[in-house]
Amino acid sequence: MTVLASVSLATFLVTGLAATQFRSQPLPPSNRLARDEALRQSVNQLEDQNRTLKARNQGLQAQVKASEDESANRSSAVQQVKAQLDDQRVIAGLMALHGPGLTVLLHDGADPNDPADKSLGWTVHYQDLQDIVNVLWASGAEAIAVNGQRIVPSTAFHYAGVNILVNNASRLSGPYTVSALGNPSNLANGISDPDQVAELKSRNRIYGLGFSWLRGTRLGLPAYDSTFLVKYAQPLG
Amino acid sequence: MPSHSVERTARAQRLIVVSLIAVALGFLLVVQLRSQAAVARTLAAQDDTSVALLINDLNRANNQLIQQGAALAQQEAQLRQALTAGGADVQGIQKELVTLREVNGEVPVHGPGLQIRIQGTIMDFELQDALNNLRTAGAEAIALNGYRIVSSTPVQSHGNSLLINGHAVSSPLSLLVIGDPEQLGPAADLSASSLQTRVQVDIQRQTDLSITEVVTPRPLIYAQLGK
Repeated sequence: MTVLASVSLATFLVTGLAATQFRSQPLPPSNRLARDEALRQSVNQLEDQNRTLKARNQGLQAQVKASEDESANRSSAVQQVKAQLDDQRVIAGLMALHGPGLTVLLHDGADPNDPADKSLGWTVHYQDLQDIVNVLWASGAEAIAVNGQRIVPSTAFHYAGVNILVNNASRLSGPYTVSALGNPSNLANGISDPDQVAELKSRNRIYGLGFSWLRGTRLGLPAYDSTFLVKYAQPLG
Repeated sequence: MPSHSVERTARAQRLIVVSLIAVALGFLLVVQLRSQAAVARTLAAQDDTSVALLINDLNRANNQLIQQGAALAQQEAQLRQALTAGGADVQGIQKELVTLREVNGEVPVHGPGLQIRIQGTIMDFELQDALNNLRTAGAEAIALNGYRIVSSTPVQSHGNSLLINGHAVSSPLSLLVIGDPEQLGPAADLSASSLQTRVQVDIQRQTDLSITEVVTPRPLIYAQLGK
């Protein structure tokens, strides 16, 4: 079912417009090659910048935390706040965590090359990952990461064309690994429940998406690699 | 089980509706994606539309990362300044605590944003898509029919019921979102355009709306600090 969400009306409108725009003036093959190359170079440059900015922000986060630790040593008032702050940091996904849990695996299947099958059911969709994450939260997960990207309050899964993006345009590609900390049995029971992610399980049987899960005694989850900006919401009262 | 068959029937009906829309509007694109998606998520093999959309998202994300970096640098400078002066930036640390409690949905908040009213039944994936769009547009706090929604809040369908953290919510749905209305508006319109074929969606900008609901943090029993 969630496959259909991937072909939502809005996506089609936006993408359709973009496609129309790109195709409105056919370019000669040589120009097209040059344009394709330029577009891909832009992506490479922007992804380099993206990685650099995340590394810088991670470094700044570490500096902020070190300064706060130092402040707590100097001030009892800070010391009292600091314990609460550390708790909130953990909840927000700003701290690396480890523990027992479940690893869920998934990859694109084989293209059936069937002209009658236009479902793209053999590919992993962002909604598949979102659904797995959703089931894991509902099964008591305490923290989750997808391909090393921590799920945090600002996390949104979405498509940019065929690309699956999360957390500041981090591009996910297969094989996909969803790691969740929590009671491994409860998490496994949640995922194996026939009512959960039923459509994905059906596609897995048809297309061989490698959908499987593995209990672990010690999984490691990285911290989120940036921070949260709150500009509009104010505490009430 | 009867409820499961009802759920399957409802899902099947929606499948047909969404399929028709998708086929009508996206036929060419589906063909394009199908032929090129092999699955061409490696950059070299992607279609131009995908690459263009990726560039757009990367630009937006990088601008956000620059803003986040500037905020962290300022925070660090203030902490360092207080330490150099022999004290501690208690106010700055308290402010950060408040910010994180807002982010985690643990305090009531108010601010500008949108009230989105939905008359009719929607499925979990439809709400989740709307939440994704709104978060990408910078939503800072979200609540639906009296339940605060954060990223760890399970959104599920059971039959025609929409469950938020296990609690059923029913039509009319009132989705409250705090953030920059200029950014949230187009994101809400995007979601509404896909929903409006079946349900009535009304989006209103608000200069100041309140979200009083909070989430209780789940205790960490299994997770421990450190990699």
